[in-house]
Amino acid sequence: MMKRHDSLQGALPLLVLKILLRRGPLHGYGITLHIETMSDEVLRVEEGSLYPALHRMEEAGWIKARWAVSEHKRRVRMYEVTAAGRRQLEAEEGRWHAVTGAVAHVLKHA
Amino acid sequence: MSWLSRLINVVRASKVERDLDDELRFHIDARIDALVQTGLPRHVAEEQVVRQFGSRLRLREASRDVKLLPWLDSLVRDIRLGLRMLRKHAVVTGAAIVSLSLALGACTGAFSLIDALILRPLPVRAPERLIHLTFPTYDPAWPENDTFSDPLFVRLREAARGRVDLFAVSYPERPSATFGDQGGEKEKLRTQFVSGDTFNRLGVVPAVGRLLTPQDDVRPGAHPVAVVSHAFWMRRFGGDPAIVGRWFALEERRAFGSGLWAGGQFQIVGVAEPRFMGVEPGRATDLWLPYAMAPGRLGNPEHSSFRVIGRVKEDASLEQVQSVLQAAFTSFRREHVERFGRGQSPESLERFVGTPLYVRSAANGPSPLRQQFERSLWILAAIAALVLLIAGSNVANLFLARTAAREREMSLRVSIGAGRGRLIQQMLVESALVAGVACALGLLFAGVAAPAVVGMLASADDPVYLDLRVDWRLVAFVGSLALLTTAVFGLAPALRAASVAPMTALKTGSAGAGTRAGVMRPFVAFQVAFSLVVLFVGGLLVLSFARLASVNPGFSSSGVVLLSVEPLHRVDEKRLHRALLQILDRLRDVPGVQAVSSAEFNVLGRPWRHYVRVPGTEHETIEATMAPVTPGFFETMRIPVLDGRTFTRRDIEAKNSTAVVVNQTFARRYFGRERAVGRLFEGRFDDNVVQNEIVGVVADTKHDLREPAAPTLYIPLRATGTFHVRTADDSATLMSRLREEVHAADPAFRVTAVTPQSAVIDQTLLRERLLALLSGFFAVVGLVLAAVGLYGVLSYSVVQRTKEIGIRLALGAQQLAVVRSVVTDAGITMLVGAAGGLAGGLYLARFVRALLYEVQPFDLWSLALPVGSLLCAGALAAVLPARRAARVDPVVALRYE
Repeated sequence: MMKRHDSLQGALPLLVLKILLRRGPLHGYGITLHIETMSDEVLRVEEGSLYPALHRMEEAGWIKARWAVSEHKRRVRMYEVTAAGRRQLEAEEGRWHAVTGAVAHVLKHA
Repeated sequence: MSWLSRLINVVRASKVERDLDDELRFHIDARIDALVQTGLPRHVAEEQVVRQFGSRLRLREASRDVKLLPWLDSLVRDIRLGLRMLRKHAVVTGAAIVSLSLALGACTGAFSLIDALILRPLPVRAPERLIHLTFPTYDPAWPENDTFSDPLFVRLREAARGRVDLFAVSYPERPSATFGDQGGEKEKLRTQFVSGDTFNRLGVVPAVGRLLTPQDDVRPGAHPVAVVSHAFWMRRFGGDPAIVGRWFALEERRAFGSGLWAGGQFQIVGVAEPRFMGVEPGRATDLWLPYAMAPGRLGNPEHSSFRVIGRVKEDASLEQVQSVLQAAFTSFRREHVERFGRGQSPESLERFVGTPLYVRSAANGPSPLRQQFERSLWILAAIAALVLLIAGSNVANLFLARTAAREREMSLRVSIGAGRGRLIQQMLVESALVAGVACALGLLFAGVAAPAVVGMLASADDPVYLDLRVDWRLVAFVGSLALLTTAVFGLAPALRAASVAPMTALKTGSAGAGTRAGVMRPFVAFQVAFSLVVLFVGGLLVLSFARLASVNPGFSSSGVVLLSVEPLHRVDEKRLHRALLQILDRLRDVPGVQAVSSAEFNVLGRPWRHYVRVPGTEHETIEATMAPVTPGFFETMRIPVLDGRTFTRRDIEAKNSTAVVVNQTFARRYFGRERAVGRLFEGRFDDNVVQNEIVGVVADTKHDLREPAAPTLYIPLRATGTFHVRTADDSATLMSRLREEVHAADPAFRVTAVTPQSAVIDQTLLRERLLALLSGFFAVVGLVLAAVGLYGVLSYSVVQRTKEIGIRLALGAQQLAVVRSVVTDAGITMLVGAAGGLAGGLYLARFVRALLYEVQPFDLWSLALPVGSLLCAGALAAVLPARRAARVDPVVALRYE
């Protein structure tokens, strides 16, 4: 199968973990809304990337999911961060800052 | 999510899909609602969201792969697809499954028999250290003897002490026992006398009570104790522990020439552990008695009925063991040469003393049944394996043909990006499904067939027990066979399927057809070759059996029934003699009975031989078969009298009758052209030297249908024996009348068995019949499979070549030429296969040669039968495809597509 690359490829799990940690359990749609509003509509989450990413993270044990009922009586799947997810977030966040800092440095002084 | 939950998800894949759908559905709906709230009309919003969302299907697939084990998931899907495809082609699948399961079942059955009789070690402690002793007999019919007398056993045991612990186990016998319950009914139990250390040396433990110990060997006749087998305990007493301490009566039996059964009351002291059924595979022992309770044998160097088995000590080598035992054996023979070798030539005396002693492994237990059937079983196993190859080739061909038919499907899948690996997997899964089903059916088939074969080996007097359990060895065997079949025969179609070139296949449905029929051809050639081997070997065995069954035994066996008569309790010799005469008289008067007589042994048995020497002739002592019979025996059996007279009533009534009758071979051997009647010779029976006079010469009869007639001495029978009744009527009414008459003649006697003489003959041809029946059956199966394979490839190639044939016909080719081109194709394939098969068959014939009777591999019939039937089958298989080729309508063929 062809792999689709988009701008958020590497950062998506990081954002998801951060948001879930800050806001508590959310469903997939809620996660996209948060990412979009918080980035002032700059970052758009492709649904095609979000769900496979969520399921991969669930598989990796960083987040866990359960079925719940929404205010409109719909069955929704809520995700929350696990302990392993928290550790992963710390590591990823550190790495992200290092990389973006390095990139910014190069852009500025090149 | 754990590996396990992913595994579970594969099984409930549809639930996983539903959940994924729900989750995405919610997302979509929520987005639409959000857009509607910004003022967009709902249908525009929907359109926008769906467009933006892309293919939901692909999204679902991507998430699905995360949730499931992808390889297992694809496997499960392949299995589902495979099952669907197999069900769609039910006939093809059915044929494949039936032929494969028959072949797998045959292989499995053969394996379970071979395992039980040949391969499996005795269920005792360290069976690999067990040995048993034999020596050559110089008799080709029975090349090795393993019976030893008590004094010889004791001598060997003492000589080998320290290196090997020898113990003695008698050949199994079947005396009658009465347990006092069930109306005092007699039951025949397979009984063995064993030396007291036997169980201990074998490492067998009791299930209940105790086993025999050396304390049971101390004084001859003073230890009336017995151990029963677990199987007998369960069968007869339902596992009642109260059996220990119970007394039973063992019949006192007096066989002619050996009054050796002690008989009397015995007390059961224990039950052996369940898995131990005696040291002889095939014959399960019911009852073990102490060696000391066989008084006629203890200290008697002339009565050899013990097998000598031993456990070699850890530090002793087999060479050492052999050399000390050999020394003891030779010195014993030298001491007894006088007694055994009376009247023998110096050369034969030398041979007697110098006889080697063999130390054989007894890890699997000594077994005459194995000796008799080992080769036959391996041959049958080889034939079954060939049939498996034929069936496997058939399956490969069926799949190849199907692969061709599914070429468009395959090409389509390749062109939309399916990996070749997936296609190979798909094809292998399909053949594995077939193999799996065939495997299960084969196990069932073997579960029926193997016991049936064991049933054929057994007779009423000699029940055969083989432990045909389904254990891991058997399952592993079938499983690996099935895997191998799948790998070998599924791989060719799979590779073929995977190598489709999408462009050509999609463009024209029939491109490259010629090469594809070519792929099938080697399989057909193999099938023809294998089936010819099976036909050839099977044909030899069937021909051999036919020749043997048509041998004239020298007597008329049809219309004779044999009544085994035994006394209910001990009777003296006088009464035995009187009963004989009374029973004969009463039976003779029964309406429908044409003739009656009695004989110690059945005509086809040869249990008692004696060396005799006639004074006044220059001949060496010859071995004669002794046959005690009553007057009327030759009339009953319709054996022609050539000279002199047969026995009269006076010969059996008189105490000291000296009259004997000899057969033609005996007369010729001793007297050549001289008249035998009136000649005297010395017989030495029971240590009394008697002068006997030959009063008559009768025609030869065979004791063994395979052998020429042996010199035979008929002497008057004075005890009851087996009654031979000639009658045209074998109804149950007459049989029960005969039983009543025997009982009425003397209430102390009763009939224990009624057997038609023909059944006895069948029993002696058991091995040949079994081989002929099974190999004949497999030969037919193989032939049918090969014909089906040939038919398949031919009709397939005709279908593939329809267009070509149409063009040729349109261009003016003769129908005959078209048919010839199709048939030539088949002919060449068959000839190549047949040549290979014939070569293989002639090579393999050497292994069956020893089992053949008057049949040679290079005989006209031996060769004509298999080749002829193969050609007929080939012709039959070619007829339909050839006709179809001839009837191709050029117009239709060319317009097609």
